[in-house]
Order: sequence, then structure tokens, then C-alpha cells
Amino acid sequence: MAATDDRLEPVVSMRAISKSFGHVQALRNVDLDLYRGEVVALVGDNGAGKSTLVKVLAGVHAPDAGTITFRGRIVSIPSPAASRELGIATVFQDLALCDNLDVVANLFLGHELGRGSLDEETMEQRSWELLRRLSARIPSVRMPVATLSGGQRQTVAIARSLIGDPTVVILDEPTAALGVAQTAEVLNLIELLRDQGHCVVLISHNMADVQAVADRVIVLRLGRVNGRFRAPELSYEDIIASITGVLNLEEGTPEDDPRERLPDGPARPLRSPGGSTPAGDAEGGAR
Amino acid sequence: MSKFSDGMRTLTGGRGLSQYSMIIALVAIILVFEIWTGGYTLDPTNVINMVQQYSYILILAIGMVMLIIAGHIDLSVGSVAAFVGIVVAQSMAVWHLPAGLAMLLGLVVGALVGAWQGFWVAYVRVPAFIVTLAGQLIFRGANQVVGNSTAVPTPDSYNWIGNGFLPDFGPDFGYSNPTLILGLVVIAALIWKEVHDRRKRVRMGASPQPVWVSVVRLVLLCGITIFATFLFATGRVGTSFPIVGIIAGVLILVYSFVTSSTVFGRHIYAVGGNASAAVLSGVKSRGVNFLLMMNMSILAAVAGMVFVGNAQASGPFDGTGWELDAIAAVFVGGAAIFGGVGTVAGSIIGAFVMAFLANGLSLLGLDASWVSIIRGLVLLAAVAFDVYNKTQGRPSIIGLLLGGFRRKKPNITEEAIQAQPQGLEKPSGDQVDKVPLS
Ligand SMILES: Nc1ncnc2c1ncn2[C@@H]1O[C@H](COP(=O)(O)OP(=O)(O)O)[C@@H](O)[C@H]1O
Ligand SMILES: [Mg+2]
Repeated sequence: MAATDDRLEPVVSMRAISKSFGHVQALRNVDLDLYRGEVVALVGDNGAGKSTLVKVLAGVHAPDAGTITFRGRIVSIPSPAASRELGIATVFQDLALCDNLDVVANLFLGHELGRGSLDEETMEQRSWELLRRLSARIPSVRMPVATLSGGQRQTVAIARSLIGDPTVVILDEPTAALGVAQTAEVLNLIELLRDQGHCVVLISHNMADVQAVADRVIVLRLGRVNGRFRAPELSYEDIIASITGVLNLEEGTPEDDPRERLPDGPARPLRSPGGSTPAGDAEGGAR
Repeated sequence: MSKFSDGMRTLTGGRGLSQYSMIIALVAIILVFEIWTGGYTLDPTNVINMVQQYSYILILAIGMVMLIIAGHIDLSVGSVAAFVGIVVAQSMAVWHLPAGLAMLLGLVVGALVGAWQGFWVAYVRVPAFIVTLAGQLIFRGANQVVGNSTAVPTPDSYNWIGNGFLPDFGPDFGYSNPTLILGLVVIAALIWKEVHDRRKRVRMGASPQPVWVSVVRLVLLCGITIFATFLFATGRVGTSFPIVGIIAGVLILVYSFVTSSTVFGRHIYAVGGNASAAVLSGVKSRGVNFLLMMNMSILAAVAGMVFVGNAQASGPFDGTGWELDAIAAVFVGGAAIFGGVGTVAGSIIGAFVMAFLANGLSLLGLDASWVSIIRGLVLLAAVAFDVYNKTQGRPSIIGLLLGGFRRKKPNITEEAIQAQPQGLEKPSGDQVDKVPLS
């Protein structure tokens, strides 16, 4: 039963997160729970606030309001280093690789091994082990990242996020720039991570990718959560309607009941009309 | 032909001849001036003079290449050197500080100046270009305030660091003994390093290069060393290897190690390659920038003190135009204008190019205005070469930046083959799918 309990307890639980940049309200009252061994897809139109939401978790932006609970403890994430320390690894949309450095240097950037002088031998060895674990196809770890293909760069970025064995892995549009074969490779990688017990957050514009790997789908629209879906009920039409705003969820919809996640849990319709919690929306009916 | 170029490629560790174009340029310049000046360029007296006169370029180029790799620049090095020079000279003339203390004071002043400039660059985020342009004016003015716009002579006990030589000892063979010993030490170190690198490659599972490569490389390097030893050992009576040469040599070794094999060095390249990526990875870019600015000013202080020692006085116009020498040396030495690429070793070769150029032109008695025009053109050509290479999709990145055992073409090891079970799109520079920025 302990294993089940582990899965019932969210690793990360964000409550009422708001963030604005000047007059742009990028996030309004967003709730999000993340569990182990699960792929959560974050979808939404351009500018919906997906990147901002994950950057709050990554320690890039401090939220204006709201709380983040990590393993039952309320935390603040003031810096990318603090985020990594907690066990949250983020692969940013622009990958954040140093093109002039080789694969090994990129993998270990910021966590180089060796005191005084760099321990290149161990780093190279670990790089191979890591890439092999991901079944990555990189011909040489001593090539500058600039000479790799888009898929290989994505793989390096994902591999780098796994150093330090994070609990949560966040991927911001990992397939946006990839071809068909490379996309399939990255999706395989995502499933591999889930099966290894990581909690994966996937941001994507591609519904086919989302339907292929996601266990849950959270739709953001204009900085709000506008819909929550769970596999296998990932209806393409409903998700699109939710993204475009044709379909609206009541604001302040509570996070999913984790018991629903279990196969034998109570089968409740997911998109039940909300109102069960008093919506504490700061903006009033600004929709 | 192709056999020759294959051999060259193996010899140079996969970089091919083009990577060594700067060494070839250096040799060509030396030969041209050697012929042009009727054999005077490589005369021991001239070489020793040159080391003493132009060592400041070597010292400045070390700090400058690190800054340029990180994406900054320092236009104030000449003024900072002059300011430190006058402070050191005055401290001995007015306060009668002993030479050693005066040098220490010079280093401290350099560090303070660097901290000042580093503060603006790293923490206020004013571009280094502007901060050091301001510094150029500020410290030139400060030099003239401290020195009352006049030259201040320095005592012999101090001048030793600028115009001194390794002291001679032992029996007289007609050569300078300390220089011979130094030459032997260098040769031993070269051999040890070659053996060490081969062992390391074996340990890392990379196939070692053919033995003839090591032999040819060692013969070349040792040949140059023996030739240089001979030059310095056969100068005028009372001369041997200059103290400034030792200072520059030690700095080159230390900073080559720092940039290529330490965490700090790695972070310099990361900040220059992609500053936001570096920060997101946990690199403390502000600290890196601050330390680099500070380091540059400390090295400028060393250069200024050495120069004052050689000139035996500190003057109000010391160090004018030094920033050009240092920056040109760095770009001639293969650094990229947009940062992220460059090596200390390359910049030293660039510094030699600039020094031989300046020396040769002055030996020929060319007018100072023409010397200035030529040096300006060299800087322009070096940067144009880098920009052209980049637009041709031939980034000078590969290999250049990684010295030592990493200087190998990506060799397909067993792991590599295991790691690529199926057909793999051939990675090449122009195939990079650029991922759009968010
Ligand atoms: N650093 C920033 N400064 C100002 N505005 C920002 C910043 N980052 C994001 N925004 C704005 O916040 C909104 C959400 O952006 P983002 O989270 O990047 O959306 P997306 O869902 O496309 O990833 C957009 O309107 C964007 O312009
Ligand atoms: Mg985005």
C-alpha cells in the first residue's frame, strides 16, 4: 500500500500561482499538482503562460502570489540552482546549450567533476553511460554541440537535465523543431523517463505528441487553467475547444482527486462543473 | 597531395593545416623580416631586446583573450598600466618603498582598479566596452595627476624586473649557463608532456596517435627550443634569458592551465558561448565577469611595472595604444569576435606576430605613422578572417578551443558505434537545426 500512497501524494503542488510582467498578466491563480511516474502535458496557445509556469518551478521567475509545496513542504525557489537542488530539472525551450562547448562540457556545465583541475576522464565515462541509458545516438561526446543535429541537441539537453537524478523533469516544447523520426525518439525518451519513476511535464503544441504520451493534459488559456483531461479520455476536439476558449471550465476548479488516478478509483466525470471550491479569483470576471 | 594533407591532418590532430595558419603566418613574418633586415631580426641582441621591449603584449594578451572569450573587451589596459607604473615609481621616489613592496603595491592597485571596473561590468551590467573606455580616460588622467605629467625615474633595484637577466654562474663555456639549463628543462617538459598525453589518451579509450606523429611534433618543438636557447645563450656578454621572459612564461603556463583544465576556465567559455544557458546551468556569470575584469587589470599592472623597469622611468604617455596590440594579438591568435572561442596559446602566437611586426618595421626604419597604419590593417584583417570563416559555415570553434588530448577529430570508438545502432544523419556544421528561441 506504501507504493500507492507514494503515488497519491503529489511531489509538487502549486496553488493559486499568479505572475505578471508589467501589464501582462501571464499567470492567474494557477493550480497544478505533479505526481511520480506520470507525464503531464501542458498545452495552450502561444502566450498562454506555459513557459512562465514552468519557469516559476525552474526558479527563473518568482511568482507574485501563490504557494509551491514540494513533498509536503512549502518552498520558495529563488534561483535555477535552488530548483535543481530540490530535484526539479528543466529543459528550456531554447535548450540553453553552449554551442561552443562539447557534449561532455555541456552535460556537466555547472556541476563539473574534479577539484582544482577538471576530471575529464570520469566526466567522459559518465557521459557515455548517461547517453547509453537514453539510447542516444551521439557519435562522439567530444564534438561541439554546434555540430549536432536538432534531435541530438535535444537529447543532450534532456540528458543534461538528468544529471543529479531529479524527481521532476520539465520539457518545454522539446519536439517543436524536430522531424518525424527525431520526434519519435524524444517521445520514447519521455516514456522511458516516466517508467523510471520521474514525473515529467511536457509542454507541446503538437496534439498527436500529447495524445501519444500524456497521462494528464492541463490546458492553459490567457494565464488560467481552462481545462483538465486525463488519458484515455483525451478527445482532440475537447482539448482544442478548451485551448481556443470555446469550452470553458469554471475558474478555480480544484486539482484532480488523486484517487481518480488509480485504476480502481471512483470513476467520476473529470470535467464536472466546478464551484465545489469558492473561486478566489483576484481579477473578478476579467475573462 | 592528399597523402600529404592526410599526414598533416594526423600531425596536427585533426585540425588540418588551416588551424595552424597563424603559426605559419608567424614563421612567414619572421622569415620575411629576417631577409629584409639582412639577418638582424634573429640576431641574439635583437631577440633579447624584443623580449624585453614587447613582453607587455604577451602579458596583456593572456588577460585579453580570457575577456574576449567571455564576450567582453578591455580598452583601458594601457591607461591602467601607466597608472600603476606611476604609482609604483612615485612610491619609491616619494615614500622610498623598497622595490619588492612597491611591486606588491602595484599589484594591489591593479586589483583595486580591476575591482572597480569589474563592479560596473558584472553587477551594474554596463558593457565592458563603455566601462573601459571611461577607464581609459580616468586612469590616463590619474597617471598624470599622480606623476604631475612628468616622467619619474625608477631605481636599479627595481628595474631588474624589466631589464634584468638570469644571473650567470658556473664555468664559462662561452654560453650563458642558466639559459642552457632552462632550455634543457623545457625540452624535458615537452617530452614528459607528450608521453603523458599519449598515456591519457590510452586511458580514456581513445586510440593513440601513430608514434611518428609524436616524434615529428617533438622534433619540431625541441628544435625550436634548442634554437631559442642558442639565441639567448649567445647574446652580448652579461646577457642571458631575460627576467621578463620568465615572468611571461610562468603566466602563460598558469593561465593555459586555468583556461583549459579548471572549472573556472570552463565557465569562461560557457559565459561567452551562451550567457543565459550558463546562468541557467548554475554558472555564476557575474562572478566570472568580475574576476575576469579584475584579472585583466592585474595583468595590466604587471605589464606596466615590467615596462617601467625596462624604460627605467614611468612617463605620462606610457601604454598608449597597448589595447590595440593586445586585442590584435588575440584576434590574430584565432579568437572569435562574438566570444566563446579562443586560447591562451593562440593569443601568445598572435602576440609574437604583433611583436615581430612592430620590431621588424622599426628595424627597417619605417615611419611611426606607417607602422600604425600597418598594425591597424593587421587587426582588421584578423577579425575579417574570423567573420568570413563564420559566414562560410566553417566555425573556428572545433578543436581550436580544446587543447591537449582533446585535440582529436571525433573518433568513432566502440561506444560510439554501440550508441548508434541505426543509420545516423551525418552531423555537420550546416545541418544544425536551429531551435527557435522562446
Ligand atoms: N520575461 C518576460 N517579460 C515580459 N513578458 C513576458 C516575459 N515572459 C513572458 N512574458 C509574457 O507572458 C505571456 C506568457 O508567455 P509564455 O509563458 O512564454 O507563453 P507560452 O505559453 O507561449 O510559453 C506572454 O504574453 C509573454 O509575452
Ligand atoms: Mg513558451
